[in-house]
Parts: sequence; C-alpha cells; structure tokens
Amino acid sequence: MTVVLSMEKVSKRYRGATAVRDVDFELLEGELHSILGENGAGKSTLTKIMAGVVDPSDGTMRYRGREVSFRSPSEALSAGIAMVFQETSLVPSMTVSQNLYLGNEKFLNRLRGINISAQQFLQSLNFTVDPTALVATLGAAQRQMLEIARAVRLNARVLIFDEPTASLTPEEKHHFFALIKRLRREGVSLVFISHALEESLAVSDRITILRDGERILTDETRNLDRREVVRAMVGRSLSDTLYQSKSDQDIRPAGERILDVQDLSMGAAVKNNSFSIFSNQITTIFGLVGSGRTETAKVIAGIYKRDFARGGQIRFRGKPVRYRVPSMAVSDGIVYVTEDRKSEGFFDSMSIAENFYAALLSSGLHRRSTVSMREMRDLARKWRGEIGIRAINDDARVIELSGGNQQKIVIGKALIRTPRLIIFDEPTRGVDVAAIDEIHRLIQALADNGLAVVVITSYLPEVRKLSDRILVCRQGRIVEEFSPAGVTDEDIMFAAVH
Amino acid sequence: MGAVSLHWLLPGKGLTQEKVVVIMAAALFIGFSIFLTGFFSVSNLIGLVRNICVLGILGVGMGLVIIGRGIDLSVVSVLAISAAYFIELLGQGLPIWSGFLFVLMLVILVGAINGFLVAYGEIPPIFATLAMGLFVYGFGRSQLMGQDVAFIPPEFTTLLALGTLKLWGVPLEVFVFVAVCLVATVFLKFTKFGRYVYYIGDNFAAARNLGIPVRPMLVLQYVACALFASVAGAIVALNLQSMNTRIVNSTLLYDVILIVVLGGIGLSGGKGGIRNVVFGALLIGILVNAMTILDFEDTHQNLIKALILLAAIMTDTLLNQRDEQTEKQGDI
Repeated sequence: MTVVLSMEKVSKRYRGATAVRDVDFELLEGELHSILGENGAGKSTLTKIMAGVVDPSDGTMRYRGREVSFRSPSEALSAGIAMVFQETSLVPSMTVSQNLYLGNEKFLNRLRGINISAQQFLQSLNFTVDPTALVATLGAAQRQMLEIARAVRLNARVLIFDEPTASLTPEEKHHFFALIKRLRREGVSLVFISHALEESLAVSDRITILRDGERILTDETRNLDRREVVRAMVGRSLSDTLYQSKSDQDIRPAGERILDVQDLSMGAAVKNNSFSIFSNQITTIFGLVGSGRTETAKVIAGIYKRDFARGGQIRFRGKPVRYRVPSMAVSDGIVYVTEDRKSEGFFDSMSIAENFYAALLSSGLHRRSTVSMREMRDLARKWRGEIGIRAINDDARVIELSGGNQQKIVIGKALIRTPRLIIFDEPTRGVDVAAIDEIHRLIQALADNGLAVVVITSYLPEVRKLSDRILVCRQGRIVEEFSPAGVTDEDIMFAAVH
Repeated sequence: MGAVSLHWLLPGKGLTQEKVVVIMAAALFIGFSIFLTGFFSVSNLIGLVRNICVLGILGVGMGLVIIGRGIDLSVVSVLAISAAYFIELLGQGLPIWSGFLFVLMLVILVGAINGFLVAYGEIPPIFATLAMGLFVYGFGRSQLMGQDVAFIPPEFTTLLALGTLKLWGVPLEVFVFVAVCLVATVFLKFTKFGRYVYYIGDNFAAARNLGIPVRPMLVLQYVACALFASVAGAIVALNLQSMNTRIVNSTLLYDVILIVVLGGIGLSGGKGGIRNVVFGALLIGILVNAMTILDFEDTHQNLIKALILLAAIMTDTLLNQRDEQTEKQGDI
C-alpha cells in the first residue's frame, strides 16, 4: 500500500495552549482511518491541518510524496484533500445540482445543463436524489451524501469526516457506508473522527488514538479491542463501568405521578402524545432523531407552545398548566437541559461564574433586584465543586472549556433552579468518556434525592444504564413502555423504528 | 469588577480595542493641546465637553440596546421631535410641567412601540427602529409643528437661564451626562435586570430557556434608549435656545453608532459597558473639535472618522485573533 499523506512532528499552539503536539500520522491509499480521542484531544485540529483550515505551528506534511503546506481549504481541495463538514458548507436555498457545481459555475449558467450532468453524475455514484430538489428539503444523510458527491466530483483523493454518522438514522447509515465502500474501491482514502467506538472498531482499517494533543497509538483495527481503545483514550480503564447495565434490584419504584400528558400535539412534530412521569426515578425516552421527543420536552418546559386548538392537556402536580414562556415552567419547577448547548444552553463569551449566576437570578430564588459579586463568586465556588468542573478558575470563559465541562455547566445551571422535574436531552452528546460517567452519576443522584428525572437519548447503552422506566418515542408520540427488567435492546430498537 | 479601578489599563492583559481608543484619545488631546492654538483654552474645552455630553448621552442609550444585541435608529428623531414638540407646546401656552409630562409619555410610548415591534413582532431591530424613526420625524414635522425650527419663547426665562447655567464653572449638561452614566452603570452592573441585558445579548435562546423575561426586557431597553435620547434633546434645545429638527438629516446618528462601536461594545451583543461609550465619545469629541478649529470640511471630517473606526477595529482584530472556537455571528 502506498502512503498518500504523511505528517511528521506536527504541532499547533493557540496562544499558549497546545492543541496538537509532535504528532506523526500516515494515511494509506484506500484505507479508512479512524482518529479517536476524548474531547479536546486534538482530533479536530489535526484533521483541520490536513485540510488546510488550520496552519500548523511546526512540523511537515507530505502529500503524494511532495512536501506541502496549504494556506487555505481551497488549496487543499484542489490538491485532492476535502473535509466534509456537518451540512455547513451547503447552501440550503439552492438546488442539489447548484450546490454540486458551487464555485465552478460558468459565466453563464444554464440550469437545465447542470441538472442533466448532475443527474448523470449522481447516478454514477448510485446516489438517488432529485437534482432539482432544494437542499433545505433534504435530510441530514442526503446532505452529507451531497457533500461527499461534491468532493468526489472535484476528484478528492482524501476525504475527512467529522462525526459522519452522528445525525444519521440506521437506514441512512447503511446507504452512507455503501457509498464509502465504493469510494474505497476506487482508491480514495478516508479519515473519520468519531465518538462512536463500536462503529469505528467495526468499519475502520486502522485506528489512531490521540490524548491531550499527543498520539498514543496507531494500529490495525484487528489488533485492538474496545477495552484497549478506551484505556488508550482516557489513560485508564473505565470502560467496564461506563455503560454497565443496571441490575434488576436497582430499579427505583415509581413515586408520585408528577406530570401527566394527554393527547399533546404540536404542528407536525408531536401528535396526540400521552404519557406520565413519576418522581423518585429516571424515565428514559428512547427515540431516533426526528421522533418528536425533543419537541415534546420543549412543549412541557414552555419553550414551544402546543397547538392552540386540540393541543391536548398537561397536568403538573395535579394542576392543568399551559406555559406561554419558559419562565413560567421554571417557576413551577420544570427545567429542560438542552441537547444543543452551544446555541441555547450557555452564554459562551461569559465566565463560569456569570453563567451560574444567570441561573440564580432568573430562578425566583433571588428576590433582591441588586446583584453582588461576592454572591456570584460563592455560588460559582460551591457549584464548581458540587458538579466537578475542571477549570483553572471561575473566570474562565465557557467557550474555552471542553465539551464535558460545558455540559456540566448547563446541568449546574439547571440544578441551581431547584427543579422538581428535570428533563435531560442527550446529556452526554459530544462529551468525553470520563465526563460521561460523572454526568451519569449526577443524574442518578438526582433520582435518589426524589426528583422526577427524564433522560432523552438515542444511545441504547445509556438507556440500559440509567433507566428505571423506558418510554419509546416514534413519529411524534410515545408508542411503547418497557420496564428495564427483562427487555432486550432489540425490543427497544424494534419499537423505535417500526 | 473594574467600575472605578484602573487595573484593566495595565499592560499584561493584552492590548484591546478599548485601550487603543483610550491611548489614541489621550495622545490626540496632548498633541492638540501643544500644537493646535486655540484648542487648550477654557472656552474651547467647554464647547468640547458640551459636544461630548450630547453624543455621550445618546451613546449610553444606544450602548444599552446594542449590548442587548439590538440597535435603535430612531434616537435622533426622538431627540429632535421630543424637544421641538415640547417647545411648541410651551408656545401654545401649556404650563411647563404638563407639557413635560405629556412629552415624557409620548417618548415612553415611542420606545415601547420600538420594543414591542422587536420583542413581540419579532421584526429585526434595524428595520423596526428605522421605520419608527422615520414615522416620528414625519409625523412630528407634518402634524405637530409649523416649521423646521422651534424657538423657546422668550418669556420662559428660567428655561433659557438653564441653558447657560454653570456650577463651579462647569456647564450643567456635564452633570447631566455624569448622572446618566452613573445611572446606566449602576443599572447594568449592579441590578439583576442589568445583568439580564448582557445575558440576552450574549445568547437570546439560552436566556429565554433559563426563564429570563426576555421580551419585557427588550421593551425596557428601547424605552430607556428613547428616554436618554429625549434627555439629549433637552440639552441641545437649552444650549441653542431652540431645536432645529433638520438635525435628523445630519450625521449625528452615525456618530452615535460610531462612538459605541469604537469604544468596544461589539454589535454581536453581551459585551462592553458604559465606560466604552465614554471613551468612544471622548475620542470622537476631541477629534471633531480639533477638526472644526482646523476648519476641515464635513466631507474630510467624515473621511477621518471612517479611518479612525477602521483603524480601531483592525487593531482589535489583529490583536485578538478569533478562531472558529471563539467567533460569533455578527462579530466585528
């Protein structure tokens, strides 16, 4: 096998902090190479250096035998290295074919012409999509395929993917991997950055593991197993306890029926959804992306409004409620912890302390209308210890923290408001392995203390580990309820997709 | 926090746009004092301070709105029409107090409409306030007033005296500006609602999810901004003993946005404070004053303002490089 791309002693420093340190990397022709590591291990930076998005501070890169240094992504692309972003580089208001030829338009473009050639090209990739469809109407998988198609059209020989399967349904994954296989047969090399361990072990030829910006190991996948990989990622062996299923006697009995939802409807996302939530236990809601679980949670927390007519009914602690704004839900004790922390979870240019203080100020627990710096500092010190945020001090800006610490801040903000019902939406998405366990323990402790806890997740091991009760959501409604005792993963998955 | 301390000016915390502006202002002041005859004289300095006060008060209101990630393009219309209509009412024989209360209510109403359009109508602030500004000017000029300029009737001697009033040799408006800055600083730094403005500006969706009353806060911001604009209007009117509504067509609005952005309040919201407005106002005030002494034409003045703004922003961009981790949409 010939080496397509090699990096030698590559480093990248950002104002003092080192993101990547003296990393050697080799990519062979036609191989699928996974790069694994915790958040902040330097995976993204390393691949961005390959794709010309980031300039390395040190080190050399060779591509097809020549030493190269790309000054921009477009230079890397014309050399044949493409990075596939998560749907960010498509123009949603344009059609598939226009996107395909974006940046290579002729001076006078004829739509019919590019539609025909796009059609032929997409067919050659076995990718069935209407070239005249607007990108805005495509699903996540189709957008990703379109990105790939665009890279292939530009004769990319190296394709880099950041979390390629995170937003895909099982069926979409199948199509995706079929396309990947074809590309590899044609000698295209692929780099995956992924959090999904099982998948990386199943599909890749070789695996490189980074930790704290350094390369820990590179080896052929068949020489590695799950436990070894996790140990290399975190520097210790905790994989055994990370997703240990709950034993039957640990299942918490239901407490008081705190929330009762009847026939809830909202637009096309939530349809006649009925279920109940009890205190003292963790109810997980399992469902695939797009099953309406997030929307249901947001209606309960007052972030979305349910349909005005025939919107159904919500009773919280016996009283019918209809929240117009989240602050009404918060003052009743319902708190929603978002799945999308960057865009609606925290204040990213502010400090840890200011983020926590925002939660206290808005909670109704803070009756005075003045603020005090000492109160803010004390609050931050207390909660930073309580939920184990690792940062140099409370003045650190949230944007500078790792995903795990950011998630803990969002959770801390929820807890400061002393909720009665707390809804976690994908609490461990984009969170490093060590923090996953800590967040799980936090969630368990809440249920032990008598709260009603809801965890929305699409990751089965998480369901197995946390649930006292399992609800399955599909097409806008809860379709099935399981007790964790005696139910198999297949049962749950079957309910979610059929 | 550094409300009074000067630790942020020390080296070692990095050279920010704010420091660049302070250093530029100080250098210009010292330079003009030495080399420009007529600059460092009592009468000129009083004129300088007066200009800064009007710009600064408008800037405080604008700064408040911009921190909350909005913008208010109606300030100059409110400034002109509130003062002119008040004078008009006096001319029609209304007593000072009832005229004052009536105009105050109208100003609050205009601010509240701005706020409602933005918060509840979800119209982008730039369009809502542009329309409102045009409406206020058009309505005021066509329905409320007979002519462009409203003169304070000579029988209101107390009002006329206020315009020239000095305490310990310092014009009255300086005290008004200081008071406005203090009120705004205390509000932003030490009250819960002031902190809400920052949270809303930094991340609207997160603030809403947290249970912050985001929409009432937006309305409040625009009402406060309109009130500050009318205070600035009162000062202009008292100084000149009249109000010329053609001021709406001047570059005043751009100057206000200029000092706010120049001082370091980012248009992306959630950043900066009243201090930044003061520094921006000082720099532009000094510059405009010197250029007037030098008898520069308006066009040349605009050219120099543009270069200063570009220089400040480029310095900030070069000194504080943003990467994909830290940049935000709307950052400048």
